[in-house]
Amino acid sequence: MTVGGAESALFWIAGPLAVAGALALLFARKAVHAAVGMATAMIVLGIFYIAQQAEFLGVIQIFVYSGAVMMLFLFVIMLIGVDSSDSLVETIRGQRWAGLLLAAGLAAITIAGIGKAAFGTPRGLAEANKDGNVSGAARLIFGDYVWAFEATSALLITAALGAMLLAHRERLTPKATQADWSRERIRSGENVAGLPAPGVYARHNAVDTPALLPDGSPAELSISRVLRARGQVGTTGALTQVTQEIEHEVGDESDEQATTRKDDDA
Amino acid sequence: MTAALSSVPAADFVATKVEYAAVLPMFIVFGMALVGVLVEAFAPRRVRYPIQLVLTLGGLVAAFLVLVLYSRDHQAKTAGGAIVIDGPALFLQGTVLVLGAVGLLAMAERLDSAAPDTFTQSGSAVPGSPQEAAAVRMGATTTEVFPLVLFAISGMMMFPAAGDLLTMFVALEVLSLPLYILTGLARRRRLLSQEASLKYFLLGAFSSAFFLFGSALIYGFAGSVRFGEIAKAVPQVGGMDSIAVPGVLLIAVGLLFKIGAVPFHSWTPDVYQGAPTPVTGFMAACTKIAAFGALLRVLYVAFEGLRWNWQPVVAVVAALTMIVGAVLSVTQTDVKRLLAYSSITHAGFVLVGVLAMDRTGVSSTMFYLVAYGFSTIAAFALIALVRSSGSEATHLSQWAGLGKSSPVLAGAFSFLMLAFAGIPLTSGFTAKFAVFGAAIAHDGTWLAVIGVLASAVTAFVYVRVIVLMYFSEPSGDTAVLTPSVLTSTAVTIGVAATLLLGIVPSPLLDLAHDSSLFLP
Amino acid sequence: MSTLAALAATTDNPVADFGDTPWWLSLVKALLVFVFLLINTLLVIWFERRVIGRMQQRPGPNRAGPFGLLQTLADGVKLALKEDIVPKAADKIMFWAAPAIAGAMAFVSFAIIPMGGTVWMFGHKTPLQLTDTPIATLLVLAVAGVGVYGIVLAGWSSGSTYPLLGGLRSSAQVISYEIAMGLALVAVFLYAGSMSTSQIVFAQNDLWYIVPAFFSFVVYVITMVGETNRLPFDLAEGEGELTGGFHTEYSSLKFAMFFLGEYVNMFTVSALATTLFLGGPAAPPGIAAIGDGMLNGGWWGLLWFVVKLWLFMFFFVWLRGSLPRVRYDQFMRLGWKVLIPTTLVWVVMVAFIRAAELGFLGDSKVSLLGRDFPRATLFIIACIALAVLVAAWFYDNHQVKRRAELEEARAMDEEIDPFAGGHPVPPLPGQRLVEPPLALSAARPAPVTDSGSEENRG
Repeated sequence: MTVGGAESALFWIAGPLAVAGALALLFARKAVHAAVGMATAMIVLGIFYIAQQAEFLGVIQIFVYSGAVMMLFLFVIMLIGVDSSDSLVETIRGQRWAGLLLAAGLAAITIAGIGKAAFGTPRGLAEANKDGNVSGAARLIFGDYVWAFEATSALLITAALGAMLLAHRERLTPKATQADWSRERIRSGENVAGLPAPGVYARHNAVDTPALLPDGSPAELSISRVLRARGQVGTTGALTQVTQEIEHEVGDESDEQATTRKDDDA
Repeated sequence: MTAALSSVPAADFVATKVEYAAVLPMFIVFGMALVGVLVEAFAPRRVRYPIQLVLTLGGLVAAFLVLVLYSRDHQAKTAGGAIVIDGPALFLQGTVLVLGAVGLLAMAERLDSAAPDTFTQSGSAVPGSPQEAAAVRMGATTTEVFPLVLFAISGMMMFPAAGDLLTMFVALEVLSLPLYILTGLARRRRLLSQEASLKYFLLGAFSSAFFLFGSALIYGFAGSVRFGEIAKAVPQVGGMDSIAVPGVLLIAVGLLFKIGAVPFHSWTPDVYQGAPTPVTGFMAACTKIAAFGALLRVLYVAFEGLRWNWQPVVAVVAALTMIVGAVLSVTQTDVKRLLAYSSITHAGFVLVGVLAMDRTGVSSTMFYLVAYGFSTIAAFALIALVRSSGSEATHLSQWAGLGKSSPVLAGAFSFLMLAFAGIPLTSGFTAKFAVFGAAIAHDGTWLAVIGVLASAVTAFVYVRVIVLMYFSEPSGDTAVLTPSVLTSTAVTIGVAATLLLGIVPSPLLDLAHDSSLFLP
Repeated sequence: MSTLAALAATTDNPVADFGDTPWWLSLVKALLVFVFLLINTLLVIWFERRVIGRMQQRPGPNRAGPFGLLQTLADGVKLALKEDIVPKAADKIMFWAAPAIAGAMAFVSFAIIPMGGTVWMFGHKTPLQLTDTPIATLLVLAVAGVGVYGIVLAGWSSGSTYPLLGGLRSSAQVISYEIAMGLALVAVFLYAGSMSTSQIVFAQNDLWYIVPAFFSFVVYVITMVGETNRLPFDLAEGEGELTGGFHTEYSSLKFAMFFLGEYVNMFTVSALATTLFLGGPAAPPGIAAIGDGMLNGGWWGLLWFVVKLWLFMFFFVWLRGSLPRVRYDQFMRLGWKVLIPTTLVWVVMVAFIRAAELGFLGDSKVSLLGRDFPRATLFIIACIALAVLVAAWFYDNHQVKRRAELEEARAMDEEIDPFAGGHPVPPLPGQRLVEPPLALSAARPAPVTDSGSEENRG
């Protein structure tokens, strides 16, 4: 077996990339970087498969592993916000070194083993791809290994069932719709028209600034209860002042506001 | 380009033949699992439990009957060599079915109330959260465990019958995945349970990787994953021993992990302690049976030709397993952990039988597995009944004086302990006699000696528990619940089998001997 | 390329023959495809703005160049000259890498699209297609899967909330819709017996797959809109909710890369739809018959291909002009609960039809409308039609019953007079409004008479 020039060029360019990706998985401080490193390694592996004329396998590798599985990983990492580096304190002393030593030993044994082995002559791609690459793979999956393939379905069903059991919160009561909420409001007779919206001022418009009641006092209810609980409710004094000044300048001051201002002045 | 080109290349495709008569039991179990999933999807919450219970038990019984009455006469290598239904496979499948049914009885225990007793009512809710309380109030059930158990059993049936490394790997995952989930569903001490589940999953995935790595090396060596082909390749292929030997050992690591042999045992105590107690019993009995079946097939069928390479390693593992298991069980103060270490020790005893490398090895191993399985399921079912302030009382001190307050439970448990210790007139004695006998007959005397010494150490531990139950004053509020007919049946079957196999072991020994020939 | 020529002639492998294509010609073709896509992008942005303008009764851009054609170019230059801002909280490496991934991946897929027949180019006979493999169509999906990394990483690396949410939405969206898309394509693979694009085009010689695989076509068109983040499925960058979505923090050329990527992706999915369902570069049925296929194949193919491609582009623009954005949960429900299950059923049906056609289910044939149909095919189609009818009947009954129940529930409500208190009051839950007949007639618009209109005009 000889390797063509293009193929060996591809190998020497993509190979280091795959190794770099794999090393990034191990040593990157941020979880997202590690995930992207792993995705890179898997994509490059897929490219290698394609270069070795296992096209179907290569594309599925990219499609399924980097396209779907790693993407879900990334999704979870981003969703739960693992962007700070993990605590690297060892719980068992010397564990890391022992682990490294064992890994190095295993690597040495396997590399030495594979290096020492005398491989026979390869069967050749022509025979494997006789019916075309996809049909060849199909023949193996649905022919010789159909049992293992079908048994995998048990695995997938179990996985789905497990995900439902461990992560899906079953809805025990029907979800309240908008209509239900409105009925509830009318029955209770409180805030029948819904809660007031936050304040909108001439130069300021944000969810943390309360609206004003007719008597000029801030309406606490207009702020989300999360912000209220956190104590992040903004003040309105300065804002109303500006609003009134602007309205005064453009001559749009209503009587009511004028009276309030007079009251304030007094 | 002609029109002929657009003909489909697979038109001459020949579908692989499956001997349905031989694999029918597996199909029944798997099919019932699928029906169970559909029941979960469509049946109303109130009626799921009775439906699932009947379906699952019925499926297991039906599969067992088909196996005994029909499939037994249709032994075959089928599905293109992926599945081998031969004597050992049938024997172990039948055992898994029976023990699975017994274990299921214990798992289905509800103590005559509407809510599940063993499993949490809301696996997704944070322990102690309002959601969990709401789920309990609304009467949520976790009847998904029934199909999960069936999936696990179908994997366990496939594991010892696998005819190639690929099928074996898939079977390994099919049996493991439901167990990981079941482990995390305990109703009480949920955080411990979830931690156990995660540990089991991570270490299990790790060991699967070893198995796969080994399989890849073996494929490189033999050019095939079928056991028959590998066995043929072993004497023929030259110059590649440096791949084959690490390959065998890596595969063995994957299997020894499932068995819980030292040094791959570290998950056992934590998982046995954290898992819902009846699940622990099921796991301890059935997983061991399936995994030993697979180990037997791999070592006896595929790699017999390489035995001079792997036998010393496995012998050392067996010795280590017996010694470490026995020594560490002395220091345990938790009943479930104690039984976990005891199960590790027993794995060592069975490995001694495996190393005999002939028919007596196979038959003694299989007999031991049956005997140990019945005792261990009954023991864990009994542990689940001992409660203290609403929680399971697993600390040894809480068991003090149980002999006086509940003599039946203490009596049954003591009897099982004696069986574990290998006292005559129990199944434990016959089983140990069989494996040590097989070992002594095949140059394994030193292992047998270690085994006897380890037995002596563990006997001390078991007797200590018995002494604690009968000769100490009761302390605390430990109470024994009155089980419903389900647990009672399970315990009765377990104890009766332990006694029967101790008194009249010969029918089962004969059966094990008759079904100890592997198809090549 | 020589390895491709040596491939056995099975349906797996491409029909297109790259035996006479030296490497430099491949490079030239790659360059041409690149330029083709760039020019088309420039054009389509102008086209979109003009057409939407027309749809909204306004002229659209008409200042720069003839008909405003150079507007996009001017915008592009302006964009390039803008300040390139990198937020302080951004993850620098990923912030740079993301637009590069999004932009680069968009171009890759076009390599396997057959844009015309076999032509003479610089003294070589070569197909108007950069390359083809036995798994070409899957390659498009795989590349799209990698392309999402650009969007997701852009969202994450910006270090702010809106982009993060946009990125999350986008990844969920693309993954969900890629499943339905892949399933829709399976029907085409079943018909063609291949995943190679040139082979699929070749197999559509006598019948475009839009006819036998009509349902796949519908699903594909829906998913391709979801896949490219276009209205009404542009939830990843919904302005009303997420400002700019994943590219909120991007500016200048990096933003331009995303913009370019989005439009090139539109071309890619449209080109794939053309290839898989509309016969690719084949001439439309009527024209194909003229002069013994004179206008079919060769460079003519490019014309038909571009026409079909732009029909899809017009469809995209039309959608944007007419539909509002859907809500995210509705969008996901459509994907998972409607598209995936129905497509799954459809694929199983197609598998049966195909098996019947290939004679796996019996050989007898029936002649119908001048074509031979295997009896089994007709039987299966009849079965499917029957099943659809029964399902529709059940659904209809259910609807009728529900409507009756609703009516009944309404009849139970207490009638109130909205004007009882002198002031109009809307009905409360459990109450029913009685429209006073007087008010109804008063609300009805008075018939417009000539004199009335005169008055208005006055």
